[in-house]
Amino acid sequence: MTSAIIDDLKKKKITALLKDGQRVDGRALDEPRQLTIDTGVIPKAEGSARVRLGDTEVVCGIKIQPDKPFPDLGDRGIFICTAEIMPLADPTVETGPPNEEVIELARVVDRGIRESGMIDLTQLVLQKNKSVVGIFVDNSVTDYDGNLFDACSYASVASIMSCKIPKWEIKDDVPTKVDGQVIDTPITTLPVSVTMARIGDQIIVDPNADEWNCMDARITITTNSAGNICAIQKGGNDGFTQEQLVKCGQISIATGAKIREIIKKVGGS
Amino acid sequence: MDDIQRKYVIPGDVITTGPYRAEENVHLFGDKIIATAVGVSEVFDSGVRVIPLTGRYLPRIDDFVIGIVKSHTSLSWELDINSCYAGILPASDVFGRDFDPKVDQLTSRLKTGDLVAARIANSDRSRDPLITVSDRDLGKIEEGELIKLSPSKVPRLIGKRGSMIQTIENATKAIITIGQNGYVVVSSEDPDGLLKALDAIKMVEEQAHVPNLTEKIQEMLGSNSE
Amino acid sequence: MGVRKTDIVLLDDKGIRCDGRKIDQPRRIMIKAGVLKNANGSAYIEFGENKILAGVFGPRDVHPKHLANTDRGIMRCRYHMQPYSVSERKNPAPSRREIEISKVIKEALEPAVMLENFPRTVVDVFIEVLQADGGSRCAALDAAAVALADAGIPMRDMVSACAAGKVADTIVLDINNEEDQEGQADMPVALMPNLGKITLIQLDGVLTPQEYEKCIDTAVSGCKLVYEVQKNALRDKFFGDGAQ
Repeated sequence: MTSAIIDDLKKKKITALLKDGQRVDGRALDEPRQLTIDTGVIPKAEGSARVRLGDTEVVCGIKIQPDKPFPDLGDRGIFICTAEIMPLADPTVETGPPNEEVIELARVVDRGIRESGMIDLTQLVLQKNKSVVGIFVDNSVTDYDGNLFDACSYASVASIMSCKIPKWEIKDDVPTKVDGQVIDTPITTLPVSVTMARIGDQIIVDPNADEWNCMDARITITTNSAGNICAIQKGGNDGFTQEQLVKCGQISIATGAKIREIIKKVGGS
Repeated sequence: MDDIQRKYVIPGDVITTGPYRAEENVHLFGDKIIATAVGVSEVFDSGVRVIPLTGRYLPRIDDFVIGIVKSHTSLSWELDINSCYAGILPASDVFGRDFDPKVDQLTSRLKTGDLVAARIANSDRSRDPLITVSDRDLGKIEEGELIKLSPSKVPRLIGKRGSMIQTIENATKAIITIGQNGYVVVSSEDPDGLLKALDAIKMVEEQAHVPNLTEKIQEMLGSNSE
Repeated sequence: MGVRKTDIVLLDDKGIRCDGRKIDQPRRIMIKAGVLKNANGSAYIEFGENKILAGVFGPRDVHPKHLANTDRGIMRCRYHMQPYSVSERKNPAPSRREIEISKVIKEALEPAVMLENFPRTVVDVFIEVLQADGGSRCAALDAAAVALADAGIPMRDMVSACAAGKVADTIVLDINNEEDQEGQADMPVALMPNLGKITLIQLDGVLTPQEYEKCIDTAVSGCKLVYEVQKNALRDKFFGDGAQ
């Protein structure tokens, strides 16, 4: 989608407005679009959420099942987060194996949550070195209007906060589900991802598809509930000055805090 | 001015600030003129440029080049001329203006793998460079061995007023045809002469920056003579 | 990205790290330009225990043709690890990690390369990691930038990369493999040294806002040290005995 061709007049309008500190849809430079989160939308999944960030839509589902731990990590559960863009999300999406953009998207969303330590995986061991709880978070982008990084991240976090982890007992050396019982999801912090684009000298938060197509460079910064930075990814074929990076850090903390309030309201159901 | 002339630069090096024009292989950043290639800086007519020491051939009109036929359509041949773009030789250049694609087969004159001596007829960035063979001394090369050099070494191989190339040709009795694009064809009736010439050319390429190279080549060629 | 254990002494009370270095000391760096015959440009780097080869072709025709851009050249980059490059044999097929790193490296180099001068062409950058240590993507970038200059592809500036990180609550320069596994944060950075633009920055690990700024500063100072090594590699090859 970043190779979609934007018409020149639109690009000129976006850059001209930005020189005056304005955006085409009237938002402030550090203002994200409207965010709506609905959880529990896929009852068969152990956790789920549908997120709309402007016109970008992502559906996230969590499947939780017992699994073998990773070698050397027998004392903790498994957390894997993926993302894919469905062909119906945009005319330019092709079917087939994931391309580099989608791979980057999935890995950045995964890292933002993993590095924050959101889920305390040490609480998810059934039999040390043998059997642990595996939490698989899968994001499906169903409509594209820019900034899939944040939309997928919010969907994942909301799903995790509202998910119900079944209880397993070890019977005859094998994990067996105890019907009707769930355990609390061991959450330590609430990571919030904020993606910013640089167009000329301006930094804008939550670019929509048009802004995404004219940006010079982008950066996604994830912060935790303590206001510390736990993941960063720069993208796009240009760069940032050191001063711009410091500013992006500040914006991600301030805007992240506001979004955290929205996500908090969703937790549990 | 002295500190700009003949300065060795790499990309990103600030050559100078001040009232100069930015010419080849430099760019202007604010008031700084910055090198964009590995090479030697030069001031010429109040413009600053860098002569690159590496890189592919950049076609210039009227340059004599040697190309290798890569493929053809029904209307033209495509040649490898050691550039970012293939050289295009229109069929009409070889068959004449009343060339008829239904009758005249391109492969009857030039086929894939043929070596061609040509001139750049036209070169602008929006299309592949056009080449022509419509002079005497141009056209298919029937014999000889092809060596590929970096185009930046061509001036050294030719030498001041041809001194280097003449030295090699005289000592080896070989005929050396040098394309500005770094493709060189060497032919000789004497197989030893051919080998000596190839060695000499390789030595020029490897030691182009060494002073007194002409004497060293003469020594090398003289010491091998019968 | 690794377990945060504290078995080994990452930083002792004299400020010495687990491999004997000081806090602001990078590992040994060696770069040689022009090591391959067939590639248009090439470079070999040893950065700590990283041993990486970079080769560049281009600008050249794009195949398949529909990938070509009529206004400017494109860049393709492949970062690939050899099966024998890490302790446990790595499957030769490209992993998702390698694909992401390839993209991130390409986006770090593109701002420097003047692709607008070569419409309808491609610059192919191939990076082979022969032996991997911490910070391989930075080392790979450092070699790739030298290979691009060696190929004579016009560049606005060099690109120099180095990582900084947090180990035992201290910001340190150029983290090695143990520090990457056991430390608290890893921030690779790439810089265009004369234009002052950062073209790659990533972070795993937690930093306070003050640590974030200090980490960027530290990484940038490392990038400038690497830049000197890159300059010398090119000067050694091209300017030989006549270098100033």
